[in-house]
Amino acid sequence: MQSIENLVTQIQGLSSNASDITALKDYLKAAEDLLRSESTRLLSFLDQLDPSKHSLVINVCKRYKDQVLLLEAPIRGVGPMLTAIRKIQSSTEHLTTLHPEFLQLCLLAKCYKAGLSVLEDDIYEINLPRDFFLYCYYGGMIFIGQKRFRKALELLHNVVTAPMSSINAIAVEAYKKYILVSLIHHGQFSSTLPKYTSSAAQRNLKNFSQPYMELVNTYNTGKIAELETYVQTNREKFESDNNLGLVKQVVSSMYKRNIQRLTQTYLTLSLQDIANTVQLNSSKEAEMHVLQMIQDGEIFATINQKDGMVRFLEDPEQYKTCEMIEHIDSSIQRIMSLSKKLTAMDELISCDPLYLGKAGRERQRFDFDDFDSVPQKFNI
Amino acid sequence: MDFSPLTDALASKSYEKIADICDDLMLKVAAEGIVFQDEWPYVIHLLGYYYVNDINSARFLWKSIPSTIKDSRAEVVAAWKIGQHLWTRDYAGVYDAIRGFDWSQEAQALVAAFSELYTKRMFQLLMSAYSTISTQDTALFLGMNEDDAAYYVQQQGWTLDPASRMLTVKKQPLVTEQKLDPSKMQCLTEYVFHLEH
Repeated sequence: MQSIENLVTQIQGLSSNASDITALKDYLKAAEDLLRSESTRLLSFLDQLDPSKHSLVINVCKRYKDQVLLLEAPIRGVGPMLTAIRKIQSSTEHLTTLHPEFLQLCLLAKCYKAGLSVLEDDIYEINLPRDFFLYCYYGGMIFIGQKRFRKALELLHNVVTAPMSSINAIAVEAYKKYILVSLIHHGQFSSTLPKYTSSAAQRNLKNFSQPYMELVNTYNTGKIAELETYVQTNREKFESDNNLGLVKQVVSSMYKRNIQRLTQTYLTLSLQDIANTVQLNSSKEAEMHVLQMIQDGEIFATINQKDGMVRFLEDPEQYKTCEMIEHIDSSIQRIMSLSKKLTAMDELISCDPLYLGKAGRERQRFDFDDFDSVPQKFNI
Repeated sequence: MDFSPLTDALASKSYEKIADICDDLMLKVAAEGIVFQDEWPYVIHLLGYYYVNDINSARFLWKSIPSTIKDSRAEVVAAWKIGQHLWTRDYAGVYDAIRGFDWSQEAQALVAAFSELYTKRMFQLLMSAYSTISTQDTALFLGMNEDDAAYYVQQQGWTLDPASRMLTVKKQPLVTEQKLDPSKMQCLTEYVFHLEH
Protein backbone atom coordinates (compact mmCIF):
# COMPACT_ATOMS: atom_id res chain seq x y z
CA MET A 1 0.00 0.00 0.00
CA GLN A 2 1.21 3.47 -0.76
CA SER A 3 1.77 4.71 2.79
CA ILE A 4 3.57 1.59 3.98
CA GLU A 5 6.02 1.96 1.13
CA ASN A 6 6.57 5.57 2.14
CA LEU A 7 7.26 4.36 5.65
CA VAL A 8 9.81 1.88 4.40
CA THR A 9 11.62 4.49 2.32
CA GLN A 10 11.63 6.85 5.27
CA ILE A 11 13.14 4.17 7.49
CA GLN A 12 15.78 3.35 4.93
CA GLY A 13 16.60 7.00 4.35
CA LEU A 14 16.63 8.24 7.91
CA SER A 15 18.55 5.43 9.56
CA SER A 16 21.87 6.65 8.34
CA ASN A 17 22.80 9.04 11.15
CA ALA A 18 21.89 9.80 14.76
CA SER A 19 19.92 13.03 14.36
CA ASP A 20 17.81 11.48 11.66
CA ILE A 21 17.00 8.59 13.96
CA THR A 22 15.12 10.88 16.35
CA ALA A 23 13.17 12.28 13.43
CA LEU A 24 12.45 8.74 12.37
CA LYS A 25 11.20 7.85 15.86
CA ASP A 26 8.71 10.68 15.73
CA TYR A 27 7.66 9.65 12.28
CA LEU A 28 7.14 6.08 13.46
CA LYS A 29 5.09 7.19 16.46
CA ALA A 30 2.78 9.06 14.13
CA ALA A 31 2.63 6.07 11.86
CA GLU A 32 1.54 3.75 14.66
CA ASP A 33 -2.06 3.70 13.52
CA LEU A 34 -0.91 2.82 10.08
CA LEU A 35 1.22 0.00 11.47
CA ARG A 36 -1.73 -1.30 13.40
CA SER A 37 -3.93 -1.60 10.38
CA GLU A 38 -1.23 -2.93 8.16
CA SER A 39 0.19 -5.34 10.70
CA THR A 40 -0.70 -8.24 8.50
CA ARG A 41 1.55 -7.07 5.71
CA LEU A 42 4.44 -6.36 8.04
CA LEU A 43 6.15 -9.60 7.19
CA SER A 44 6.73 -8.78 3.55
CA PHE A 45 8.03 -5.34 4.38
CA LEU A 46 10.45 -6.66 6.95
CA ASP A 47 12.19 -8.31 4.01
CA GLN A 48 12.94 -4.94 2.53
CA LEU A 49 14.63 -3.57 5.62
CA ASP A 50 18.20 -4.56 6.26
CA PRO A 51 18.19 -5.11 10.02
CA SER A 52 21.83 -4.33 10.61
CA LYS A 53 21.18 -0.78 9.50
CA HIS A 54 17.74 -0.25 10.91
CA SER A 55 17.80 -0.68 14.67
CA LEU A 56 14.28 0.58 14.93
CA VAL A 57 13.12 -2.66 13.34
CA ILE A 58 13.22 -4.04 16.88
CA ASN A 59 10.91 -1.33 18.11
CA VAL A 60 8.54 -1.98 15.24
CA CYS A 61 8.48 -5.68 16.08
CA LYS A 62 7.79 -4.98 19.73
CA ARG A 63 4.90 -2.71 18.82
CA TYR A 64 3.60 -5.45 16.55
CA LYS A 65 3.75 -7.94 19.37
CA ASP A 66 1.81 -5.62 21.66
CA GLN A 67 -0.82 -5.18 18.98
CA VAL A 68 -1.16 -8.88 18.49
CA LEU A 69 -1.62 -9.38 22.23
CA LEU A 70 -4.23 -6.63 22.35
CA LEU A 71 -6.14 -8.45 19.65
CA GLU A 72 -5.89 -11.61 21.80
CA ALA A 73 -4.50 -13.53 18.89
CA PRO A 74 -0.91 -14.26 19.90
CA ILE A 75 -0.64 -16.99 17.28
CA ARG A 76 -0.64 -14.29 14.61
CA GLY A 77 2.68 -12.98 15.81
CA VAL A 78 4.53 -16.28 16.03
CA GLY A 79 5.45 -16.69 12.36
CA PRO A 80 6.53 -13.08 11.64
CA MET A 81 8.46 -12.82 14.91
CA LEU A 82 10.44 -15.93 14.08
CA THR A 83 11.31 -14.50 10.65
CA ALA A 84 12.31 -11.22 12.27
CA ILE A 85 14.64 -13.00 14.67
CA ARG A 86 16.35 -14.92 11.88
CA LYS A 87 16.80 -11.69 9.95
CA ILE A 88 18.18 -9.66 12.84
CA GLN A 89 20.57 -12.13 14.34
CA SER A 90 24.11 -12.04 13.06
CA SER A 91 24.33 -15.81 13.64
CA THR A 92 22.28 -18.52 15.31
CA GLU A 93 24.46 -18.02 18.40
CA HIS A 94 23.25 -14.46 18.80
CA LEU A 95 20.46 -13.65 21.25
CA THR A 96 18.39 -10.68 20.17
CA THR A 97 15.90 -8.59 22.14
CA LEU A 98 13.17 -10.27 20.14
CA HIS A 99 13.95 -13.76 21.45
CA PRO A 100 12.08 -13.41 24.76
CA GLU A 101 9.20 -11.61 23.00
CA PHE A 102 8.92 -14.50 20.58
CA LEU A 103 8.99 -17.11 23.34
CA GLN A 104 6.31 -15.22 25.22
CA LEU A 105 4.09 -15.30 22.14
CA CYS A 106 4.71 -19.02 21.73
CA LEU A 107 3.67 -19.63 25.32
CA LEU A 108 0.51 -17.57 24.99
CA ALA A 109 -0.41 -19.09 21.64
CA LYS A 110 0.45 -22.58 22.94
CA CYS A 111 2.77 -23.09 19.97
CA TYR A 112 5.44 -24.74 22.07
CA LYS A 113 6.97 -26.59 19.15
CA ALA A 114 7.69 -23.33 17.33
CA GLY A 115 9.52 -22.05 20.38
CA LEU A 116 11.72 -25.13 20.42
CA SER A 117 13.30 -24.27 17.07
CA VAL A 118 14.81 -21.16 18.63
CA LEU A 119 15.65 -22.79 21.95
CA GLU A 120 17.72 -25.51 20.29
CA ASP A 121 20.37 -22.95 19.27
CA ASP A 122 23.27 -22.49 21.67
CA ILE A 123 23.73 -18.87 22.64
CA TYR A 124 27.15 -17.23 22.82
CA GLU A 125 26.38 -13.58 22.10
CA ILE A 126 23.97 -11.42 24.04
CA ASN A 127 22.93 -7.80 23.61
CA LEU A 128 21.33 -7.14 26.98
CA PRO A 129 21.48 -9.35 30.11
CA ARG A 130 17.78 -8.66 30.62
CA ASP A 131 17.03 -10.37 27.30
CA PHE A 132 18.85 -13.48 28.43
CA PHE A 133 17.08 -13.45 31.79
CA LEU A 134 13.62 -13.44 30.21
CA TYR A 135 14.72 -15.84 27.47
CA CYS A 136 15.76 -18.36 30.11
CA TYR A 137 12.53 -17.96 32.07
CA TYR A 138 10.20 -18.37 29.10
CA GLY A 139 12.43 -21.04 27.60
CA GLY A 140 12.32 -22.97 30.84
CA MET A 141 8.53 -22.89 30.77
CA ILE A 142 8.42 -24.11 27.18
CA PHE A 143 10.74 -27.03 27.99
CA ILE A 144 8.55 -27.87 30.99
CA GLY A 145 5.54 -27.94 28.67
CA GLN A 146 7.38 -30.36 26.37
CA LYS A 147 8.52 -32.38 29.40
CA ARG A 148 12.18 -31.83 28.62
CA PHE A 149 13.06 -31.37 32.24
CA ARG A 150 16.84 -31.49 31.96
CA LYS A 151 16.91 -28.50 29.60
CA ALA A 152 14.28 -26.73 31.69
CA LEU A 153 16.50 -27.08 34.77
CA GLU A 154 19.46 -25.61 32.88
CA LEU A 155 17.54 -22.51 31.87
CA LEU A 156 15.77 -22.02 35.20
CA HIS A 157 19.13 -22.37 36.93
CA ASN A 158 20.37 -19.43 34.87
CA VAL A 159 17.43 -17.29 35.95
CA VAL A 160 17.89 -18.10 39.62
CA THR A 161 21.66 -17.50 39.62
CA ALA A 162 21.59 -14.39 37.43
CA PRO A 163 23.24 -11.28 38.82
CA MET A 164 20.67 -9.06 40.50
CA SER A 165 20.95 -6.28 43.02
CA SER A 166 17.57 -7.02 44.56
CA ILE A 167 15.18 -9.92 44.38
CA ASN A 168 12.54 -9.80 41.66
CA ALA A 169 9.31 -11.67 40.99
CA ILE A 170 10.61 -13.53 37.94
CA ALA A 171 13.48 -15.03 39.92
CA VAL A 172 11.07 -16.14 42.65
CA GLU A 173 8.68 -17.81 40.19
CA ALA A 174 11.60 -19.43 38.43
CA TYR A 175 12.90 -20.75 41.74
CA LYS A 176 9.53 -22.35 42.56
CA LYS A 177 9.46 -24.13 39.20
CA TYR A 178 13.14 -25.03 39.64
CA ILE A 179 12.32 -26.82 42.88
CA LEU A 180 9.44 -28.77 41.30
CA VAL A 181 11.31 -29.74 38.14
CA SER A 182 14.30 -30.78 40.23
CA LEU A 183 12.08 -33.14 42.22
CA ILE A 184 10.52 -34.56 39.06
CA HIS A 185 13.79 -35.03 37.20
CA HIS A 186 16.29 -35.88 39.93
CA GLY A 187 14.04 -37.01 42.74
CA GLN A 188 15.84 -34.59 45.03
CA PHE A 189 16.47 -30.95 45.58
CA SER A 190 19.47 -29.25 47.10
CA SER A 191 18.70 -25.86 48.57
CA THR A 192 22.29 -24.64 48.48
CA LEU A 193 22.72 -22.27 45.58
CA PRO A 194 26.06 -22.04 43.78
CA LYS A 195 28.63 -19.45 44.89
CA TYR A 196 28.06 -17.24 41.89
CA THR A 197 24.42 -16.59 42.84
CA SER A 198 23.69 -13.01 43.83
CA SER A 199 23.48 -12.35 47.57
CA ALA A 200 19.98 -10.94 47.09
CA ALA A 201 18.87 -14.30 45.72
CA GLN A 202 20.73 -16.31 48.37
CA ARG A 203 19.05 -14.39 51.15
CA ASN A 204 15.51 -14.10 49.85
CA LEU A 205 14.50 -16.86 47.45
CA LYS A 206 13.75 -19.42 50.12
CA ASN A 207 11.61 -17.02 52.12
CA PHE A 208 9.32 -16.42 49.18
CA SER A 209 8.87 -20.10 48.38
CA GLN A 210 8.05 -21.59 51.78
CA PRO A 211 5.27 -23.98 50.63
CA TYR A 212 7.67 -25.42 48.07
CA MET A 213 10.46 -25.94 50.58
CA GLU A 214 7.93 -27.78 52.76
CA LEU A 215 6.98 -29.88 49.75
CA VAL A 216 10.62 -30.90 49.38
CA ASN A 217 10.74 -32.00 53.01
CA THR A 218 7.56 -34.03 52.63
CA TYR A 219 8.90 -35.57 49.42
CA ASN A 220 12.07 -36.63 51.17
CA THR A 221 10.14 -38.71 53.70
CA GLY A 222 9.32 -41.05 50.80
CA LYS A 223 5.76 -41.46 52.09
CA ILE A 224 3.25 -41.05 49.31
CA ALA A 225 0.24 -40.59 51.61
CA GLU A 226 1.89 -37.70 53.44
CA LEU A 227 2.85 -36.06 50.18
CA GLU A 228 -0.66 -36.34 48.77
CA THR A 229 -2.16 -34.90 51.96
CA TYR A 230 0.27 -32.00 51.88
CA VAL A 231 -0.57 -31.24 48.25
CA GLN A 232 -4.30 -31.36 48.99
CA THR A 233 -4.00 -28.98 51.96
CA ASN A 234 -1.95 -26.46 50.02
CA ARG A 235 -3.71 -26.92 46.71
CA GLU A 236 -4.85 -23.32 46.42
CA LYS A 237 -1.37 -21.88 46.88
CA PHE A 238 0.00 -24.07 44.11
CA GLU A 239 -2.98 -23.31 41.89
CA SER A 240 -2.60 -19.56 42.26
CA ASP A 241 1.04 -19.91 41.19
CA ASN A 242 -0.12 -21.91 38.16
CA ASN A 243 2.04 -24.76 39.37
CA LEU A 244 -0.60 -27.34 40.24
CA GLY A 245 0.09 -29.41 37.11
CA LEU A 246 3.79 -29.57 37.98
CA VAL A 247 3.01 -30.47 41.58
CA LYS A 248 0.88 -33.38 40.41
CA GLN A 249 3.79 -34.55 38.28
CA VAL A 250 5.96 -34.39 41.40
CA VAL A 251 3.54 -36.74 43.15
CA SER A 252 3.54 -39.28 40.32
CA SER A 253 7.33 -39.04 40.13
CA MET A 254 7.47 -40.30 43.69
CA TYR A 255 5.81 -43.58 42.70
CA LYS A 256 8.44 -43.90 40.00
CA ARG A 257 11.31 -43.18 42.40
CA ASN A 258 10.03 -45.74 44.85
CA ILE A 259 9.74 -48.39 42.16
CA GLN A 260 13.19 -47.54 40.82
CA ARG A 261 14.65 -47.91 44.30
CA LEU A 262 13.30 -51.47 44.38
CA THR A 263 15.44 -52.38 41.37
CA GLN A 264 18.51 -51.73 43.46
CA THR A 265 17.53 -54.30 46.04
CA TYR A 266 15.62 -57.01 44.21
CA LEU A 267 16.12 -59.13 41.12
CA THR A 268 12.53 -60.29 41.05
CA LEU A 269 9.56 -59.10 43.01
CA SER A 270 5.89 -59.95 42.95
CA LEU A 271 3.43 -57.36 41.66
CA GLN A 272 1.58 -57.56 44.97
CA ASP A 273 4.78 -56.77 46.90
CA ILE A 274 5.44 -53.82 44.64
CA ALA A 275 1.90 -52.57 45.22
CA ASN A 276 2.35 -52.88 49.00
CA THR A 277 5.77 -51.25 49.16
CA VAL A 278 4.89 -48.35 46.91
CA GLN A 279 1.41 -47.97 48.40
CA LEU A 280 -0.62 -48.69 45.30
CA ASN A 281 -4.11 -50.12 45.56
CA SER A 282 -3.70 -53.35 43.63
CA SER A 283 -1.23 -55.52 41.81
CA LYS A 284 -2.93 -54.51 38.56
CA GLU A 285 -2.13 -50.86 39.32
CA ALA A 286 1.44 -51.84 40.05
CA GLU A 287 1.57 -53.70 36.74
CA MET A 288 0.37 -50.60 34.86
CA HIS A 289 2.93 -48.39 36.62
CA VAL A 290 5.76 -50.76 35.76
CA LEU A 291 4.51 -51.06 32.17
CA GLN A 292 4.45 -47.29 31.75
CA MET A 293 7.96 -46.99 33.16
CA ILE A 294 9.16 -49.64 30.73
CA GLN A 295 7.46 -47.77 27.89
CA ASP A 296 9.23 -44.54 28.91
CA GLY A 297 12.58 -46.25 29.28
CA GLU A 298 12.77 -45.41 32.99
CA ILE A 299 13.23 -49.01 34.02
CA PHE A 300 14.39 -52.28 32.48
CA ALA A 301 12.15 -55.13 33.46
CA THR A 302 9.86 -57.88 32.23
CA ILE A 303 6.47 -58.70 33.69
CA ASN A 304 5.51 -62.32 34.11
CA GLN A 305 1.74 -62.38 34.41
CA LYS A 306 1.58 -66.14 34.89
CA ASP A 307 3.46 -65.91 38.17
CA GLY A 308 2.54 -62.31 38.92
CA MET A 309 6.22 -61.40 39.11
CA VAL A 310 8.48 -58.69 37.75
CA ARG A 311 12.05 -59.41 36.87
CA PHE A 312 14.38 -56.41 36.95
CA LEU A 313 17.03 -56.34 34.26
CA GLU A 314 20.29 -54.59 33.58
CA ASP A 315 20.47 -51.80 31.05
CA PRO A 316 20.90 -53.74 27.79
CA GLU A 317 22.98 -50.96 26.25
CA GLN A 318 26.36 -52.42 25.36
CA TYR A 319 27.82 -49.23 23.93
CA LYS A 320 28.95 -51.24 20.94
CA THR A 321 26.67 -49.96 18.23
CA CYS A 322 27.31 -47.54 15.38
CA GLU A 323 24.67 -45.26 16.84
CA MET A 324 26.54 -45.00 20.11
CA ILE A 325 29.79 -44.16 18.34
CA GLU A 326 28.04 -41.42 16.38
CA HIS A 327 26.68 -40.10 19.64
CA ILE A 328 30.10 -40.08 21.33
CA ASP A 329 31.67 -38.56 18.24
CA SER A 330 29.23 -35.66 18.04
CA SER A 331 29.51 -35.05 21.80
CA ILE A 332 33.31 -34.84 21.52
CA GLN A 333 33.03 -32.45 18.58
CA ARG A 334 30.68 -30.22 20.56
CA ILE A 335 32.97 -30.19 23.57
CA MET A 336 35.98 -29.37 21.41
CA SER A 337 34.25 -26.39 19.83
CA LEU A 338 33.01 -25.29 23.27
CA SER A 339 36.56 -25.56 24.57
CA LYS A 340 37.83 -23.36 21.75
CA LYS A 341 35.16 -20.76 22.50
CA LEU A 342 36.05 -20.77 26.18
CA THR A 343 39.73 -20.27 25.39
CA ALA A 344 38.86 -17.34 23.14
CA MET A 345 36.68 -15.79 25.85
CA ASP A 346 39.39 -16.35 28.42
CA GLU A 347 41.89 -14.49 26.24
CA LEU A 348 39.45 -11.63 25.75
CA ILE A 349 38.83 -11.27 29.46
CA SER A 350 42.54 -11.42 30.23
CA CYS A 351 42.98 -8.31 28.13
CA ASP A 352 40.03 -6.46 29.67
CA PRO A 353 41.29 -3.43 31.62
CA LEU A 354 38.58 -3.83 34.30
CA TYR A 355 39.69 -7.36 34.99
CA LEU A 356 43.40 -6.48 34.94
CA GLY A 357 42.73 -3.67 37.39
CA LYS A 358 41.06 -6.02 39.88
CA ALA A 359 43.54 -8.87 39.37
CA GLY A 360 46.50 -6.50 39.70
CA ARG A 361 45.29 -5.25 43.07
CA GLU A 362 45.05 -8.74 44.46
CA ARG A 363 48.38 -9.98 43.18
CA GLN A 364 50.71 -11.15 45.88
CA ARG A 365 54.24 -9.94 46.27
CA PHE A 366 56.59 -12.47 44.76
CA ASP A 367 59.84 -13.65 46.25
CA PHE A 368 62.98 -13.59 44.20
CA ASP A 369 62.86 -17.38 44.08
CA ASP A 370 59.54 -17.35 42.26
CA PHE A 371 61.08 -15.96 39.13
CA ASP A 372 62.85 -18.41 36.92
CA SER A 373 66.31 -17.59 35.86
CA VAL A 374 65.62 -16.09 32.48
CA PRO A 375 68.04 -13.42 31.32
CA GLN A 376 66.74 -9.86 31.77
CA LYS A 377 66.53 -9.01 28.13
CA PHE A 378 63.82 -11.68 27.55
CA ASN A 379 61.47 -10.22 30.15
CA ILE A 380 58.70 -8.28 28.50
CA MET B 1 -6.37 -21.01 2.51
CA ASP B 2 -4.06 -23.15 0.46
CA PHE B 3 -4.17 -26.64 1.87
CA SER B 4 -2.35 -28.27 -1.03
CA PRO B 5 0.74 -29.45 0.93
CA LEU B 6 -1.65 -31.15 3.33
CA THR B 7 -3.82 -32.80 0.67
CA ASP B 8 -0.68 -33.94 -1.15
CA ALA B 9 0.68 -35.57 1.98
CA LEU B 10 -2.62 -37.29 2.64
CA ALA B 11 -2.85 -38.53 -0.93
CA SER B 12 0.69 -39.91 -0.87
CA LYS B 13 0.09 -41.43 2.58
CA SER B 14 3.05 -39.55 4.07
CA TYR B 15 1.22 -39.46 7.36
CA GLU B 16 4.33 -38.83 9.45
CA LYS B 17 4.65 -35.42 7.83
CA ILE B 18 1.11 -34.26 8.55
CA ALA B 19 1.84 -32.76 11.98
CA ASP B 20 4.70 -30.57 10.75
CA ILE B 21 2.80 -29.49 7.64
CA CYS B 22 -0.22 -28.50 9.73
CA ASP B 23 1.94 -26.58 12.23
CA ASP B 24 3.72 -24.59 9.53
CA LEU B 25 0.49 -23.92 7.67
CA MET B 26 -1.25 -22.74 10.83
CA LEU B 27 1.47 -20.22 11.66
CA LYS B 28 1.50 -18.97 8.09
CA VAL B 29 -2.24 -18.54 7.93
CA ALA B 30 -2.39 -16.91 11.36
CA ALA B 31 0.31 -14.42 10.37
CA GLU B 32 -1.83 -13.30 7.49
CA GLY B 33 -4.50 -12.37 9.99
CA ILE B 34 -7.05 -14.75 8.54
CA VAL B 35 -9.60 -16.10 10.98
CA PHE B 36 -8.90 -19.74 10.23
CA GLN B 37 -10.40 -21.57 13.16
CA ASP B 38 -13.76 -22.37 11.58
CA GLU B 39 -12.26 -24.09 8.58
CA TRP B 40 -9.20 -25.56 10.17
CA PRO B 41 -8.84 -29.37 9.77
CA TYR B 42 -8.39 -30.00 13.50
CA VAL B 43 -9.23 -33.69 13.12
CA ILE B 44 -6.39 -34.26 10.65
CA HIS B 45 -4.06 -32.07 12.73
CA LEU B 46 -4.73 -34.05 15.91
CA LEU B 47 -4.42 -37.41 14.13
CA GLY B 48 -1.15 -36.21 12.63
CA TYR B 49 0.22 -35.66 16.14
CA TYR B 50 -0.93 -39.11 17.31
CA TYR B 51 0.76 -40.66 14.31
CA VAL B 52 4.16 -39.30 15.38
CA ASN B 53 3.35 -39.90 19.05
CA ASP B 54 3.46 -36.22 20.00
CA ILE B 55 0.62 -36.20 22.52
CA ASN B 56 2.00 -33.07 24.24
CA SER B 57 1.44 -30.94 21.16
CA ALA B 58 -1.97 -32.54 20.63
CA ARG B 59 -2.97 -31.44 24.14
CA PHE B 60 -1.88 -27.88 23.51
CA LEU B 61 -3.73 -27.83 20.19
CA TRP B 62 -6.90 -29.04 21.90
CA LYS B 63 -6.55 -26.31 24.53
CA SER B 64 -6.32 -23.68 21.83
CA ILE B 65 -9.46 -24.75 19.96
CA PRO B 66 -12.30 -22.26 20.56
CA SER B 67 -15.21 -23.69 22.58
CA THR B 68 -17.69 -22.83 19.81
CA ILE B 69 -15.89 -25.30 17.58
CA LYS B 70 -15.73 -27.90 20.34
CA ASP B 71 -19.51 -27.56 20.70
CA SER B 72 -20.38 -27.68 17.03
CA ARG B 73 -17.95 -30.19 15.52
CA ALA B 74 -18.46 -33.63 16.99
CA GLU B 75 -15.66 -35.18 14.94
CA VAL B 76 -13.10 -32.88 16.56
CA VAL B 77 -14.28 -33.95 20.01
CA ALA B 78 -14.16 -37.59 18.93
CA ALA B 79 -10.62 -37.12 17.61
CA TRP B 80 -9.55 -35.63 20.93
CA LYS B 81 -11.06 -38.58 22.80
CA ILE B 82 -8.42 -40.74 21.18
CA GLY B 83 -5.76 -38.33 22.41
CA GLN B 84 -7.18 -38.33 25.91
CA HIS B 85 -6.86 -42.10 26.13
CA LEU B 86 -3.34 -41.93 24.69
CA TRP B 87 -2.42 -39.31 27.30
CA THR B 88 -3.82 -41.28 30.27
CA ARG B 89 -2.32 -44.46 28.78
CA ASP B 90 -5.68 -46.16 28.74
CA TYR B 91 -4.36 -48.57 26.13
CA ALA B 92 -7.61 -50.36 25.46
CA GLY B 93 -9.66 -47.16 25.54
CA VAL B 94 -7.81 -45.86 22.49
CA TYR B 95 -9.38 -48.57 20.35
CA ASP B 96 -12.82 -47.83 21.75
CA ALA B 97 -12.38 -44.18 20.85
CA ILE B 98 -11.19 -45.06 17.35
CA ARG B 99 -14.13 -47.38 16.71
CA GLY B 100 -16.73 -45.32 18.58
CA PHE B 101 -17.19 -42.77 15.82
CA ASP B 102 -18.30 -42.75 12.25
CA TRP B 103 -15.36 -40.91 10.70
CA SER B 104 -15.75 -38.61 7.73
CA GLN B 105 -14.33 -39.68 4.41
CA GLU B 106 -11.26 -37.43 4.62
CA ALA B 107 -10.37 -38.67 8.08
CA GLN B 108 -10.99 -42.38 7.48
CA ALA B 109 -7.70 -43.27 5.80
CA LEU B 110 -5.64 -41.49 8.45
CA VAL B 111 -7.62 -43.03 11.31
CA ALA B 112 -7.16 -46.50 9.82
CA ALA B 113 -3.44 -45.92 9.31
CA PHE B 114 -3.04 -44.69 12.87
CA SER B 115 -4.98 -47.63 14.23
CA GLU B 116 -2.66 -50.05 12.44
CA LEU B 117 0.43 -48.19 13.61
CA TYR B 118 -0.84 -48.10 17.19
CA THR B 119 -1.46 -51.85 17.16
CA LYS B 120 2.12 -52.40 15.99
CA ARG B 121 3.45 -50.07 18.70
CA MET B 122 1.44 -51.91 21.34
CA PHE B 123 2.77 -55.22 20.09
CA GLN B 124 6.35 -53.91 20.36
CA LEU B 125 5.62 -52.75 23.89
CA LEU B 126 4.20 -56.13 24.90
CA MET B 127 7.19 -57.88 23.41
CA SER B 128 9.66 -55.77 25.35
CA ALA B 129 7.75 -55.64 28.63
CA TYR B 130 6.26 -59.09 29.15
CA SER B 131 7.60 -62.61 29.39
CA THR B 132 4.13 -64.09 29.82
CA ILE B 133 0.75 -62.45 29.44
CA SER B 134 -2.86 -63.59 29.44
CA THR B 135 -4.74 -63.75 26.14
CA GLN B 136 -7.36 -61.52 27.70
CA ASP B 137 -4.92 -58.69 28.32
CA THR B 138 -3.22 -59.20 24.97
CA ALA B 139 -6.62 -58.80 23.32
CA LEU B 140 -7.17 -55.53 25.18
CA PHE B 141 -3.76 -54.16 24.23
CA LEU B 142 -4.10 -55.09 20.58
CA GLY B 143 -7.73 -54.10 20.21
CA MET B 144 -8.82 -57.50 18.96
CA ASN B 145 -10.93 -60.29 20.37
CA GLU B 146 -9.04 -63.04 22.19
CA ASP B 147 -8.89 -65.50 19.32
CA ASP B 148 -7.69 -62.94 16.78
CA ALA B 149 -5.12 -61.64 19.23
CA ALA B 150 -3.83 -65.14 19.95
CA TYR B 151 -3.58 -65.83 16.23
CA TYR B 152 -1.79 -62.52 15.57
CA VAL B 153 0.90 -63.08 18.18
CA GLN B 154 1.38 -66.73 17.31
CA GLN B 155 2.23 -65.60 13.80
CA GLN B 156 5.08 -63.70 15.41
CA GLY B 157 6.39 -66.76 17.18
CA TRP B 158 4.63 -66.59 20.55
CA THR B 159 3.35 -69.78 22.10
CA LEU B 160 -0.06 -70.32 23.65
CA ASP B 161 -0.87 -72.55 26.61
CA PRO B 162 -4.56 -73.25 25.96
CA ALA B 163 -5.22 -74.52 29.46
CA SER B 164 -4.22 -71.35 31.25
CA ARG B 165 -4.87 -69.00 28.31
CA MET B 166 -1.35 -67.70 28.80
CA LEU B 167 0.90 -66.55 26.01
CA THR B 168 4.66 -66.83 26.19
CA VAL B 169 6.38 -63.96 24.50
CA LYS B 170 9.08 -64.57 21.96
CA LYS B 171 11.59 -61.79 22.18
CA GLN B 172 12.94 -60.65 18.89
CA PRO B 173 16.67 -60.06 19.24
CA LEU B 174 17.47 -56.44 18.53
CA VAL B 175 19.41 -56.24 15.31
CA THR B 176 21.57 -53.22 15.74
CA GLU B 177 24.07 -51.96 13.27
CA GLN B 178 27.50 -53.06 14.38
CA LYS B 179 29.52 -52.63 11.26
CA LEU B 180 31.98 -50.00 12.19
CA ASP B 181 33.06 -47.27 9.90
CA PRO B 182 36.89 -47.38 10.09
CA SER B 183 37.18 -43.59 9.87
CA LYS B 184 35.14 -43.24 13.08
CA MET B 185 37.51 -45.55 14.88
CA GLN B 186 40.38 -43.45 13.56
CA CYS B 187 38.74 -40.29 14.98
CA LEU B 188 38.23 -41.85 18.37
CA THR B 189 41.77 -43.19 18.50
CA GLU B 190 43.07 -39.72 17.72
CA TYR B 191 40.95 -38.14 20.48
CA VAL B 192 42.22 -40.57 23.06
CA PHE B 193 45.82 -40.08 21.91
CA HIS B 194 45.32 -36.30 22.07
CA LEU B 195 43.83 -36.42 25.55
CA GLU B 196 46.59 -38.57 26.94
CA HIS B 197 49.35 -36.29 25.75
